[in-house]
Amino acid sequence: MGIITVTILLLWVVSFSIHLYGVYKTQAHFEEQPVAPDTPFRLIPVTILKPLKGVDEGLSENLKSFFNLDYPEYELIFSVANEFDPATRVIRGLISEHPHVRSRLIVGELNIGKNPKVNNLIRGYESARYDWVLISDSNVRVGPRYLKNLVSQINTDTGMITSVVLGTESSGIGGGLEQLHLNTFYAKAMVLASSVGRDCVVGKSMLFHKSSADRFGGLRALGGFLAEDYMAGEAMKQLGLKVSTAWDTVPQFIGEYSLKEFLQRHIRWGRIRKAQSPIAFFSEVFSFSALPGLFLAIGLSTLVAISPLFIFLIHSGVWLLLDLFVMRSIKAKMELRSVLFWLLRESLIVPLWLFTASGSSVSWRGERYTLKLGGILVPQKV
Amino acid sequence: MFLGDFHIHSKFSDGKLSIPEIVDLYGESGFGAIAITDHLCEDRSLIGRAARLLNQTLTPATFPLYQNILRSEAKRAWERYRMVLIPGVELTQNTVNNSRSAHVLGLGVSEYIGAEADVKDLARAIRAQGALAVAAHPVNTQQREKQTYHLWDRREELRSEFDAWEVASGIHLFPEVLRSDLPRIANSDLHHPKQFRSWKTGFTCEKHPGAILDAIRKQEITFHFFEGREQNGNHYSNDPSFVGRLF
Repeated sequence: MGIITVTILLLWVVSFSIHLYGVYKTQAHFEEQPVAPDTPFRLIPVTILKPLKGVDEGLSENLKSFFNLDYPEYELIFSVANEFDPATRVIRGLISEHPHVRSRLIVGELNIGKNPKVNNLIRGYESARYDWVLISDSNVRVGPRYLKNLVSQINTDTGMITSVVLGTESSGIGGGLEQLHLNTFYAKAMVLASSVGRDCVVGKSMLFHKSSADRFGGLRALGGFLAEDYMAGEAMKQLGLKVSTAWDTVPQFIGEYSLKEFLQRHIRWGRIRKAQSPIAFFSEVFSFSALPGLFLAIGLSTLVAISPLFIFLIHSGVWLLLDLFVMRSIKAKMELRSVLFWLLRESLIVPLWLFTASGSSVSWRGERYTLKLGGILVPQKV
Repeated sequence: MFLGDFHIHSKFSDGKLSIPEIVDLYGESGFGAIAITDHLCEDRSLIGRAARLLNQTLTPATFPLYQNILRSEAKRAWERYRMVLIPGVELTQNTVNNSRSAHVLGLGVSEYIGAEADVKDLARAIRAQGALAVAAHPVNTQQREKQTYHLWDRREELRSEFDAWEVASGIHLFPEVLRSDLPRIANSDLHHPKQFRSWKTGFTCEKHPGAILDAIRKQEITFHFFEGREQNGNHYSNDPSFVGRLF
């Protein structure tokens, strides 16, 4: 057995073991449900911040789900950059329909940095009534117990609680790919990161203590980062506080997505991950079946008289079953199209990863930036 | 008299403790002043780039968060322990050649300084902020670690550029620095709590950042070996005649 064969087989063993461990940890993570999340004295008041831009498919229903939370005391603050944003009409309608819920709309952003989401949120954040704040994206649609479940996971050393995103209600090729990607790769990666104490915050749902965040400069200090969610989590860790991943998912309404939108989004976020956590990014490609399958097929076929194609196909089948198991663990909807999108994702992933790895430019709201190591953002000259 | 330690690393670079944990460790042990000095590595060399890749250094992106946390912790350190926390950095130039490697501490630095320039310019950039430039572990530290001799090799040329030279790092005193007539300071270079037992610097001045930095400039300081939570009586004066008796 040559050194190359040993190396590629070892790479396969490592990749497959991590995949198996990720599948096992995902199952275990979502089984851990607390016994009594309803204990009244633990249900501290929360301010929910909703940054909005435009009216995406399903927006009204998404926002409505936050007016229907089964929670004793919370306020909802919606923010839009300007009065002409069509979301204002939807929000005002919902506020008047739900007078029993403390809610308000803030119009107008503050230009404190390159991150438009932070610029949009900052006025709402600084006027929040309560010390626990939940930032929640507009495409999130939750059940009545969502906030109760989240708050029940706060401990004395908690800095931030984030949630694994459960993709739902997608349409179009890009939408299907997005849903599949969220419910397999992202879910497993977040749980794996959490299992080694490296919980990675996603902006879809981040609950945190405002007074603690103020110790690193609050939301204002994050205005210069494209990935304000990731940096918020890292800053909390620097304060010695715990960042944890909730034991239930937060459903994201995906809607219609084109293939181009899917690719553009993942190139951008991949490049941000590459700049902020390069080692994790470069190992990511081994979390999909294609490359490990290729390694196993080449390595094993030199040792035994089996067709490499056969080995590759069997390996892909096993990997698919394990990914379906991840979907089952997070209670994602299992459909035949999940398998089709899985096959499409696996065929696209290596070229997508290579393209992402080969550059460091990202487009953000009409401007081009170069991302440098450490997440430093440099505007490109026109 | 109170003790100070002005070379401490947090999780912002390669330290094991968060900044609040460092404040509590020193505050509960009765220290009067500390400076947190995380690595800020140059990004030209392979080692410097590796430090960025492994998140072992401050960057222009993380520096503002670092400063914000230092500010809020300085307030807490004073209110809770009556301990002064001085913001700092360790401008780090590491190459495979020890004679071309240098670490420069900036005590009182509040603005970002890139670590790529010549050490003389780094010291000047530090001092331009009203901060102190300190030559970190300029001679052999007697430990299995990266050695940095560049500053010591240029000590005559750099004499007027630096406010102090580390005479001790961790548990080791540096005889070369002790015998020299360069201004001195004793620090722990703490990365891990087990390095808490080390040489420290003693002060009799007012507990105020300006007064403390001024005492270092004027060398109105003493050196003490700190055994841990309980301070013992083992200390050395900064008086040259005392140094003569030591060696």
